[in-house]
Amino acid sequence: MRQEACLTANKSLGVETTAPTPDATVREGEMEGALHVVGELGYRGASVRAVLEFSGGHRKQFYDHFDSLEDCFEQAYETWIERLGISLLEAAVSASGWGPGVQAGLIRLFRFVTEQTAIARALFVEVHVAGGAALGVHDEALERLAAALDSVRAEIEPAEAPPEATGIFVVGGIEACLCEVLAEGNQSRIWDALPELMHLAVGSYLGKEAAEEAFEGARVLLERDRAGLGSKGA
Amino acid sequence: MTRLELVTEEPGDAPFSTGEPLPRRLPPGRHGIPANLVREHQRRRLLAAMAEALAEHGYAGVTTTHVSERANVSTSTFYNHFGNLWDCVLAAYVAGAERLCEEIDAACAARDPRSAPLEVGIDAALAFLSAEPALAQLLCAQAPREAISVTAARRLLVSRLAAMLRRERGAEEAPAQPPGLDERLIDATLAFVCARIGAGEVARLVELGPELTAILDRPRRAA
Repeated sequence: MRQEACLTANKSLGVETTAPTPDATVREGEMEGALHVVGELGYRGASVRAVLEFSGGHRKQFYDHFDSLEDCFEQAYETWIERLGISLLEAAVSASGWGPGVQAGLIRLFRFVTEQTAIARALFVEVHVAGGAALGVHDEALERLAAALDSVRAEIEPAEAPPEATGIFVVGGIEACLCEVLAEGNQSRIWDALPELMHLAVGSYLGKEAAEEAFEGARVLLERDRAGLGSKGA
Repeated sequence: MTRLELVTEEPGDAPFSTGEPLPRRLPPGRHGIPANLVREHQRRRLLAAMAEALAEHGYAGVTTTHVSERANVSTSTFYNHFGNLWDCVLAAYVAGAERLCEEIDAACAARDPRSAPLEVGIDAALAFLSAEPALAQLLCAQAPREAISVTAARRLLVSRLAAMLRRERGAEEAPAQPPGLDERLIDATLAFVCARIGAGEVARLVELGPELTAILDRPRRAA
Protein backbone atom coordinates (compact mmCIF):
# COMPACT_ATOMS: atom_id res chain seq x y z
CA MET A 1 0.00 0.00 0.00
CA ARG A 2 1.41 3.42 -0.88
CA GLN A 3 2.32 6.02 1.71
CA GLU A 4 0.88 8.82 -0.46
CA ALA A 5 -2.63 7.39 -0.19
CA CYS A 6 -2.51 7.68 3.59
CA LEU A 7 -0.85 11.07 3.62
CA THR A 8 -3.45 12.55 1.25
CA ALA A 9 -6.27 11.19 3.37
CA ASN A 10 -4.66 12.54 6.56
CA LYS A 11 -4.31 16.02 5.08
CA SER A 12 -7.99 16.16 4.25
CA LEU A 13 -8.93 15.39 7.85
CA GLY A 14 -7.48 18.49 9.49
CA VAL A 15 -6.46 16.62 12.61
CA GLU A 16 -7.52 18.28 15.88
CA THR A 17 -4.55 19.09 18.07
CA THR A 18 -6.19 21.17 20.83
CA ALA A 19 -8.26 19.80 23.71
CA PRO A 20 -11.98 19.67 22.84
CA THR A 21 -14.33 22.09 24.61
CA PRO A 22 -17.05 20.65 26.89
CA ASP A 23 -19.63 21.52 24.23
CA ALA A 24 -17.62 19.70 21.56
CA THR A 25 -17.44 16.68 23.86
CA VAL A 26 -21.22 16.68 24.28
CA ARG A 27 -21.67 17.01 20.52
CA GLU A 28 -19.25 14.15 19.93
CA GLY A 29 -21.21 12.02 22.41
CA GLU A 30 -24.46 12.79 20.63
CA MET A 31 -22.97 11.78 17.30
CA GLU A 32 -21.64 8.52 18.70
CA GLY A 33 -25.05 7.99 20.31
CA ALA A 34 -26.81 8.49 16.97
CA LEU A 35 -24.66 5.86 15.29
CA HIS A 36 -25.01 3.50 18.23
CA VAL A 37 -28.80 3.83 18.33
CA VAL A 38 -29.16 3.48 14.56
CA GLY A 39 -26.98 0.38 14.71
CA GLU A 40 -28.98 -1.11 17.58
CA LEU A 41 -32.55 -0.13 16.64
CA GLY A 42 -32.23 0.35 12.90
CA TYR A 43 -32.54 3.67 11.06
CA ARG A 44 -36.32 3.41 11.01
CA GLY A 45 -36.52 2.77 14.74
CA ALA A 46 -34.05 5.44 15.92
CA SER A 47 -35.21 8.56 17.80
CA VAL A 48 -33.67 11.64 19.42
CA ARG A 49 -34.90 10.34 22.75
CA ALA A 50 -32.97 7.09 22.32
CA VAL A 51 -29.85 9.05 21.33
CA LEU A 52 -30.13 11.22 24.45
CA GLU A 53 -30.62 8.15 26.63
CA PHE A 54 -27.34 6.84 25.25
CA SER A 55 -25.34 10.10 25.35
CA GLY A 56 -26.88 11.54 28.53
CA GLY A 57 -27.41 15.02 27.03
CA HIS A 58 -30.42 17.32 26.86
CA ARG A 59 -32.87 17.79 24.03
CA LYS A 60 -32.15 21.55 23.76
CA GLN A 61 -28.41 20.92 23.53
CA PHE A 62 -29.04 18.35 20.83
CA TYR A 63 -31.04 20.81 18.74
CA ASP A 64 -28.39 23.49 19.31
CA HIS A 65 -25.96 21.14 17.60
CA PHE A 66 -28.13 19.53 14.95
CA ASP A 67 -31.23 20.38 12.92
CA SER A 68 -32.68 16.91 13.30
CA LEU A 69 -31.82 13.30 13.98
CA GLU A 70 -31.11 12.87 10.26
CA ASP A 71 -28.69 15.82 10.38
CA CYS A 72 -26.96 14.32 13.43
CA PHE A 73 -26.68 10.93 11.72
CA GLU A 74 -25.22 12.48 8.57
CA GLN A 75 -22.60 14.49 10.48
CA ALA A 76 -21.74 11.52 12.67
CA TYR A 77 -21.51 9.31 9.63
CA GLU A 78 -19.08 11.62 7.88
CA THR A 79 -16.84 11.88 10.95
CA TRP A 80 -16.72 8.16 11.74
CA ILE A 81 -16.37 6.82 8.22
CA GLU A 82 -13.43 9.19 7.64
CA ARG A 83 -11.78 8.09 10.89
CA LEU A 84 -12.26 4.46 9.97
CA GLY A 85 -10.90 5.02 6.47
CA ILE A 86 -7.77 6.69 7.86
CA SER A 87 -7.33 3.90 10.39
CA LEU A 88 -7.53 1.25 7.65
CA LEU A 89 -5.05 3.09 5.47
CA GLU A 90 -2.67 3.49 8.41
CA ALA A 91 -2.83 -0.23 9.08
CA ALA A 92 -2.19 -0.92 5.39
CA VAL A 93 0.83 1.36 5.02
CA SER A 94 2.41 -0.04 8.17
CA ALA A 95 2.70 -3.45 6.46
CA SER A 96 5.48 -4.23 4.02
CA GLY A 97 4.05 -4.62 0.54
CA TRP A 98 0.66 -4.35 -1.08
CA GLY A 99 -0.72 -7.81 -0.29
CA PRO A 100 0.25 -7.73 3.41
CA GLY A 101 -1.15 -4.17 3.47
CA VAL A 102 -4.51 -5.38 2.23
CA GLN A 103 -4.51 -8.10 4.88
CA ALA A 104 -3.56 -5.64 7.63
CA GLY A 105 -6.37 -3.32 6.52
CA LEU A 106 -8.89 -6.16 6.58
CA ILE A 107 -7.76 -7.26 10.04
CA ARG A 108 -8.11 -3.69 11.35
CA LEU A 109 -11.58 -3.53 9.77
CA PHE A 110 -12.67 -6.85 11.28
CA ARG A 111 -11.47 -5.75 14.72
CA PHE A 112 -13.56 -2.58 14.39
CA VAL A 113 -16.58 -4.67 13.41
CA THR A 114 -16.22 -7.03 16.37
CA GLU A 115 -15.39 -4.31 18.92
CA GLN A 116 -17.79 -1.57 17.78
CA THR A 117 -20.53 -3.71 16.30
CA ALA A 118 -23.45 -1.30 16.63
CA ILE A 119 -21.50 1.54 15.03
CA ALA A 120 -20.24 -0.77 12.27
CA ARG A 121 -23.84 -1.80 11.60
CA ALA A 122 -24.80 1.86 11.25
CA LEU A 123 -21.83 2.58 8.97
CA PHE A 124 -22.25 -0.40 6.65
CA VAL A 125 -25.84 -1.69 6.84
CA GLU A 126 -28.16 1.08 7.96
CA VAL A 127 -26.57 3.72 5.73
CA HIS A 128 -28.22 1.91 2.82
CA VAL A 129 -31.55 2.44 4.57
CA ALA A 130 -30.82 6.08 5.39
CA GLY A 131 -29.79 6.98 1.84
CA GLY A 132 -29.37 10.71 1.15
CA ALA A 133 -26.20 12.61 2.08
CA ALA A 134 -24.86 9.83 4.31
CA LEU A 135 -25.00 7.35 1.45
CA GLY A 136 -23.14 9.84 -0.73
CA VAL A 137 -20.39 10.10 1.92
CA HIS A 138 -20.35 6.29 2.14
CA ASP A 139 -19.85 5.99 -1.62
CA GLU A 140 -16.99 8.52 -1.54
CA ALA A 141 -15.31 6.65 1.32
CA LEU A 142 -15.52 3.38 -0.63
CA GLU A 143 -14.06 5.09 -3.68
CA ARG A 144 -11.09 6.29 -1.61
CA LEU A 145 -10.45 2.75 -0.37
CA ALA A 146 -10.79 1.45 -3.93
CA ALA A 147 -8.23 4.04 -5.06
CA ALA A 148 -5.86 2.85 -2.31
CA LEU A 149 -6.26 -0.75 -3.52
CA ASP A 150 -5.60 0.45 -7.04
CA SER A 151 -2.11 1.58 -6.03
CA VAL A 152 -0.88 -1.91 -6.96
CA ARG A 153 -1.46 -1.08 -10.63
CA ALA A 154 1.98 0.57 -10.60
CA GLU A 155 3.43 -2.95 -10.25
CA ILE A 156 1.37 -4.48 -13.08
CA GLU A 157 2.34 -4.39 -16.75
CA PRO A 158 -0.10 -2.11 -18.64
CA ALA A 159 -1.05 -4.96 -20.97
CA GLU A 160 -1.98 -7.07 -17.93
CA ALA A 161 -3.86 -4.28 -16.11
CA PRO A 162 -7.13 -5.37 -14.48
CA PRO A 163 -10.41 -3.69 -15.51
CA GLU A 164 -10.90 -0.12 -14.31
CA ALA A 165 -13.74 -1.02 -11.92
CA THR A 166 -11.74 -3.69 -10.07
CA GLY A 167 -11.13 -1.58 -6.96
CA ILE A 168 -14.75 -0.64 -6.36
CA PHE A 169 -15.80 -4.23 -7.17
CA VAL A 170 -13.48 -5.64 -4.49
CA VAL A 171 -14.44 -3.02 -1.89
CA GLY A 172 -18.13 -3.71 -2.60
CA GLY A 173 -17.54 -7.42 -2.10
CA ILE A 174 -15.85 -6.82 1.24
CA GLU A 175 -18.67 -4.56 2.38
CA ALA A 176 -21.33 -7.08 1.29
CA CYS A 177 -19.59 -9.68 3.45
CA LEU A 178 -19.59 -7.30 6.44
CA CYS A 179 -23.27 -6.48 5.88
CA GLU A 180 -24.21 -10.14 5.92
CA VAL A 181 -22.59 -10.93 9.27
CA LEU A 182 -23.71 -7.63 10.82
CA ALA A 183 -27.32 -8.05 9.72
CA GLU A 184 -27.33 -11.54 11.21
CA GLY A 185 -25.74 -10.32 14.45
CA ASN A 186 -23.00 -12.88 13.98
CA GLN A 187 -20.00 -10.56 13.68
CA SER A 188 -17.38 -12.93 15.08
CA ARG A 189 -17.96 -15.04 11.94
CA ILE A 190 -16.32 -12.28 9.88
CA TRP A 191 -12.90 -13.78 10.65
CA ASP A 192 -13.83 -16.92 8.69
CA ALA A 193 -14.07 -14.77 5.57
CA LEU A 194 -10.50 -13.43 5.77
CA PRO A 195 -8.90 -16.04 3.44
CA GLU A 196 -11.70 -15.75 0.86
CA LEU A 197 -11.59 -11.96 0.89
CA MET A 198 -7.80 -12.01 0.52
CA HIS A 199 -8.25 -14.33 -2.47
CA LEU A 200 -10.85 -11.97 -3.92
CA ALA A 201 -8.75 -8.82 -3.44
CA VAL A 202 -5.37 -10.18 -4.49
CA GLY A 203 -6.72 -12.40 -7.28
CA SER A 204 -8.72 -9.57 -8.80
CA TYR A 205 -5.49 -7.64 -9.37
CA LEU A 206 -2.67 -10.16 -9.56
CA GLY A 207 -4.31 -13.37 -10.77
CA LYS A 208 -4.53 -16.95 -9.64
CA GLU A 209 -1.11 -17.75 -8.16
CA ALA A 210 -0.93 -14.62 -6.04
CA ALA A 211 -4.54 -15.18 -4.93
CA GLU A 212 -3.80 -18.73 -3.81
CA GLU A 213 -0.74 -17.59 -1.91
CA ALA A 214 -2.72 -14.81 -0.18
CA PHE A 215 -5.53 -17.26 0.65
CA GLU A 216 -3.11 -19.74 2.16
CA GLY A 217 -1.27 -17.05 4.11
CA ALA A 218 -4.51 -15.78 5.63
CA ARG A 219 -5.70 -19.30 6.38
CA VAL A 220 -2.48 -20.17 8.21
CA LEU A 221 -2.59 -16.87 10.11
CA LEU A 222 -6.15 -17.61 11.24
CA GLU A 223 -5.29 -21.14 12.24
CA ARG A 224 -2.27 -20.00 14.24
CA ASP A 225 -3.57 -16.88 15.93
CA ARG A 226 -7.31 -16.48 15.52
CA ALA A 227 -7.90 -15.50 19.14
CA GLY A 228 -5.03 -13.00 19.09
CA LEU A 229 -6.17 -11.31 15.88
CA GLY A 230 -9.30 -10.03 17.50
CA SER A 231 -7.51 -8.44 20.41
CA LYS A 232 -4.26 -6.91 19.18
CA GLY A 233 -2.79 -5.04 16.26
CA ALA A 234 -1.61 -7.09 13.34
CA MET B 1 -45.49 -15.73 7.42
CA THR B 2 -44.14 -16.04 3.89
CA ARG B 3 -42.18 -19.21 3.26
CA LEU B 4 -38.47 -18.58 2.75
CA GLU B 5 -37.70 -20.69 -0.25
CA LEU B 6 -36.83 -20.04 -3.86
CA VAL B 7 -39.69 -22.19 -5.12
CA THR B 8 -40.05 -23.21 -8.74
CA GLU B 9 -43.44 -22.30 -10.06
CA GLU B 10 -45.08 -23.01 -13.38
CA PRO B 11 -44.12 -20.40 -15.96
CA GLY B 12 -46.94 -17.93 -16.16
CA ASP B 13 -48.12 -18.59 -12.62
CA ALA B 14 -45.22 -16.99 -10.83
CA PRO B 15 -45.49 -13.34 -9.89
CA PHE B 16 -43.47 -11.15 -12.28
CA SER B 17 -43.12 -14.25 -14.47
CA THR B 18 -44.12 -12.78 -17.80
CA GLY B 19 -42.58 -9.35 -17.54
CA GLU B 20 -45.89 -8.01 -18.94
CA PRO B 21 -47.29 -4.97 -17.13
CA LEU B 22 -50.25 -5.99 -15.00
CA PRO B 23 -53.58 -4.14 -15.28
CA ARG B 24 -53.74 -1.67 -12.39
CA ARG B 25 -56.98 -3.25 -11.18
CA LEU B 26 -59.67 -5.71 -12.17
CA PRO B 27 -63.02 -4.45 -13.53
CA PRO B 28 -65.27 -3.26 -10.70
CA GLY B 29 -68.60 -4.86 -9.83
CA ARG B 30 -69.79 -8.34 -10.80
CA HIS B 31 -67.12 -9.44 -13.24
CA GLY B 32 -67.53 -13.18 -12.76
CA ILE B 33 -63.78 -13.76 -12.29
CA PRO B 34 -63.18 -16.62 -9.82
CA ALA B 35 -62.10 -15.47 -6.35
CA ASN B 36 -58.79 -17.35 -6.49
CA LEU B 37 -57.80 -15.53 -9.69
CA VAL B 38 -58.76 -12.20 -8.18
CA ARG B 39 -56.59 -13.00 -5.19
CA GLU B 40 -53.65 -14.06 -7.34
CA HIS B 41 -53.97 -10.90 -9.42
CA GLN B 42 -53.98 -8.78 -6.27
CA ARG B 43 -50.88 -10.56 -4.99
CA ARG B 44 -48.98 -9.97 -8.21
CA ARG B 45 -49.90 -6.30 -8.18
CA LEU B 46 -48.78 -6.02 -4.57
CA LEU B 47 -45.40 -7.62 -5.31
CA ALA B 48 -44.79 -5.34 -8.28
CA ALA B 49 -45.92 -2.35 -6.21
CA MET B 50 -43.60 -3.32 -3.36
CA ALA B 51 -40.50 -3.07 -5.56
CA GLU B 52 -41.69 0.22 -7.09
CA ALA B 53 -42.55 1.75 -3.71
CA LEU B 54 -39.16 0.75 -2.33
CA ALA B 55 -37.41 2.29 -5.32
CA GLU B 56 -39.31 5.54 -4.76
CA HIS B 57 -39.26 5.85 -0.95
CA GLY B 58 -36.31 3.67 0.04
CA TYR B 59 -36.25 1.39 3.06
CA ALA B 60 -36.30 4.45 5.33
CA GLY B 61 -39.65 5.76 4.15
CA VAL B 62 -41.65 2.98 2.53
CA THR B 63 -44.98 2.04 4.16
CA THR B 64 -47.77 -0.46 3.55
CA THR B 65 -49.94 2.48 2.43
CA HIS B 66 -47.47 3.30 -0.36
CA VAL B 67 -47.64 -0.30 -1.52
CA SER B 68 -51.40 -0.77 -1.36
CA GLU B 69 -52.05 2.58 -3.09
CA ARG B 70 -49.70 1.63 -5.94
CA ALA B 71 -51.34 -1.78 -6.25
CA ASN B 72 -54.81 -0.22 -6.20
CA VAL B 73 -55.96 -2.34 -3.28
CA SER B 74 -57.13 -1.36 0.20
CA THR B 75 -54.84 -1.60 3.22
CA SER B 76 -57.01 -4.42 4.56
CA THR B 77 -56.46 -6.33 1.29
CA PHE B 78 -52.72 -5.85 1.80
CA TYR B 79 -53.01 -7.47 5.24
CA ASN B 80 -55.09 -10.31 3.79
CA HIS B 81 -52.02 -11.23 1.76
CA PHE B 82 -49.12 -10.32 4.06
CA GLY B 83 -48.63 -10.13 7.81
CA ASN B 84 -46.58 -6.95 7.57
CA LEU B 85 -44.43 -4.85 5.27
CA TRP B 86 -41.39 -7.12 5.62
CA ASP B 87 -43.37 -10.21 4.61
CA CYS B 88 -44.30 -8.40 1.42
CA VAL B 89 -40.67 -7.32 0.78
CA LEU B 90 -39.58 -10.92 1.28
CA ALA B 91 -42.21 -12.28 -1.10
CA ALA B 92 -41.25 -9.69 -3.73
CA TYR B 93 -37.56 -10.56 -3.25
CA VAL B 94 -38.12 -14.32 -3.60
CA ALA B 95 -40.29 -13.89 -6.71
CA GLY B 96 -37.80 -11.48 -8.28
CA ALA B 97 -34.86 -13.75 -7.49
CA GLU B 98 -36.67 -16.63 -9.14
CA ARG B 99 -37.21 -14.60 -12.29
CA LEU B 100 -33.56 -13.50 -12.41
CA CYS B 101 -32.37 -17.12 -12.15
CA GLU B 102 -34.85 -18.22 -14.82
CA GLU B 103 -33.59 -15.52 -17.20
CA ILE B 104 -29.96 -16.60 -16.71
CA ASP B 105 -30.82 -20.29 -17.05
CA ALA B 106 -32.82 -19.69 -20.22
CA ALA B 107 -30.03 -17.61 -21.80
CA CYS B 108 -27.37 -20.21 -20.94
CA ALA B 109 -29.51 -23.07 -22.24
CA ALA B 110 -30.11 -21.28 -25.55
CA ARG B 111 -26.57 -20.00 -26.03
CA ASP B 112 -24.50 -20.50 -29.12
CA PRO B 113 -21.94 -23.23 -28.23
CA ARG B 114 -19.15 -20.91 -29.46
CA SER B 115 -20.03 -18.20 -26.94
CA ALA B 116 -18.64 -18.14 -23.39
CA PRO B 117 -21.26 -19.26 -20.85
CA LEU B 118 -20.07 -16.80 -18.20
CA GLU B 119 -20.46 -13.88 -20.58
CA VAL B 120 -23.90 -15.07 -21.73
CA GLY B 121 -25.11 -15.44 -18.14
CA ILE B 122 -23.82 -12.02 -17.10
CA ASP B 123 -25.32 -10.33 -20.16
CA ALA B 124 -28.69 -11.98 -19.48
CA ALA B 125 -28.64 -10.90 -15.83
CA LEU B 126 -27.68 -7.32 -16.68
CA ALA B 127 -30.33 -7.09 -19.43
CA PHE B 128 -32.99 -8.32 -16.99
CA LEU B 129 -31.92 -5.94 -14.20
CA SER B 130 -31.67 -3.02 -16.60
CA ALA B 131 -35.23 -3.65 -17.84
CA GLU B 132 -36.56 -3.90 -14.27
CA PRO B 133 -34.81 -1.12 -12.33
CA ALA B 134 -37.09 -1.27 -9.27
CA LEU B 135 -36.65 -5.01 -8.98
CA ALA B 136 -32.90 -4.65 -9.60
CA GLN B 137 -32.62 -2.29 -6.66
CA LEU B 138 -34.59 -4.65 -4.43
CA LEU B 139 -32.46 -7.66 -5.39
CA CYS B 140 -29.04 -5.99 -5.17
CA ALA B 141 -29.38 -3.60 -2.20
CA GLN B 142 -28.71 -4.43 1.44
CA ALA B 143 -31.87 -4.81 3.53
CA PRO B 144 -32.35 -3.16 6.94
CA ARG B 145 -32.08 -4.97 10.22
CA GLU B 146 -35.86 -5.37 10.57
CA ALA B 147 -35.90 -7.33 7.31
CA ILE B 148 -33.54 -10.10 8.41
CA SER B 149 -35.52 -12.61 6.33
CA VAL B 150 -34.71 -10.54 3.22
CA THR B 151 -31.01 -10.77 4.11
CA ALA B 152 -31.46 -14.55 4.31
CA ALA B 153 -33.23 -14.56 0.93
CA ARG B 154 -30.35 -12.54 -0.51
CA ARG B 155 -27.93 -15.15 0.78
CA LEU B 156 -29.97 -17.87 -0.92
CA LEU B 157 -29.86 -15.93 -4.18
CA VAL B 158 -26.08 -15.48 -3.85
CA SER B 159 -25.65 -19.25 -3.26
CA ARG B 160 -27.82 -20.06 -6.22
CA LEU B 161 -26.01 -17.67 -8.56
CA ALA B 162 -22.65 -18.98 -7.29
CA ALA B 163 -23.77 -22.54 -8.10
CA MET B 164 -24.73 -21.38 -11.60
CA LEU B 165 -21.31 -19.76 -11.96
CA ARG B 166 -19.61 -23.04 -10.98
CA ARG B 167 -21.84 -24.99 -13.34
CA GLU B 168 -21.09 -22.76 -16.32
CA ARG B 169 -17.38 -22.73 -15.53
CA GLY B 170 -17.22 -26.51 -15.60
CA ALA B 171 -16.76 -29.11 -12.89
CA GLU B 172 -13.05 -29.66 -13.56
CA GLU B 173 -12.09 -26.28 -12.08
CA ALA B 174 -14.17 -26.53 -8.95
CA PRO B 175 -11.79 -28.45 -6.68
CA ALA B 176 -8.92 -26.05 -7.38
CA GLN B 177 -10.76 -23.14 -5.89
CA PRO B 178 -11.35 -22.16 -2.26
CA PRO B 179 -14.89 -22.88 -1.11
CA GLY B 180 -16.94 -19.73 -0.74
CA LEU B 181 -14.99 -17.71 -3.29
CA ASP B 182 -17.78 -17.77 -5.87
CA GLU B 183 -20.21 -16.50 -3.22
CA ARG B 184 -17.83 -13.58 -2.57
CA LEU B 185 -17.64 -12.84 -6.28
CA ILE B 186 -21.43 -12.85 -6.62
CA ASP B 187 -21.80 -10.67 -3.51
CA ALA B 188 -19.34 -8.20 -5.02
CA THR B 189 -21.22 -8.28 -8.33
CA LEU B 190 -24.55 -7.46 -6.67
CA ALA B 191 -22.92 -4.63 -4.71
CA PHE B 192 -21.31 -3.33 -7.90
CA VAL B 193 -24.62 -3.37 -9.79
CA CYS B 194 -26.37 -1.72 -6.83
CA ALA B 195 -23.80 1.10 -6.82
CA ARG B 196 -24.28 1.67 -10.55
CA ILE B 197 -28.06 1.83 -10.07
CA GLY B 198 -27.53 4.28 -7.21
CA ALA B 199 -25.41 6.40 -9.54
CA GLY B 200 -28.35 6.58 -11.98
CA GLU B 201 -26.76 4.26 -14.54
CA VAL B 202 -29.57 1.69 -14.85
CA ALA B 203 -29.81 2.07 -18.61
CA ARG B 204 -26.06 1.51 -18.94
CA LEU B 205 -25.99 -1.74 -16.93
CA VAL B 206 -25.90 -3.80 -20.11
CA GLU B 207 -22.64 -2.08 -21.12
CA LEU B 208 -20.93 -3.46 -18.01
CA GLY B 209 -21.00 -7.06 -19.31
CA PRO B 210 -17.46 -7.30 -20.74
CA GLU B 211 -15.87 -5.55 -17.74
CA LEU B 212 -17.74 -7.70 -15.20
CA THR B 213 -16.86 -10.85 -17.11
CA ALA B 214 -13.18 -9.88 -17.06
CA ILE B 215 -13.28 -9.08 -13.32
CA LEU B 216 -15.03 -12.36 -12.43
CA ASP B 217 -12.60 -14.34 -14.52
CA ARG B 218 -9.37 -12.74 -13.30
CA PRO B 219 -8.88 -14.54 -9.93
CA ARG B 220 -8.84 -17.82 -11.89
CA ARG B 221 -6.28 -16.71 -14.46
CA ALA B 222 -2.52 -16.94 -14.25
CA ALA B 223 -0.83 -13.53 -14.11
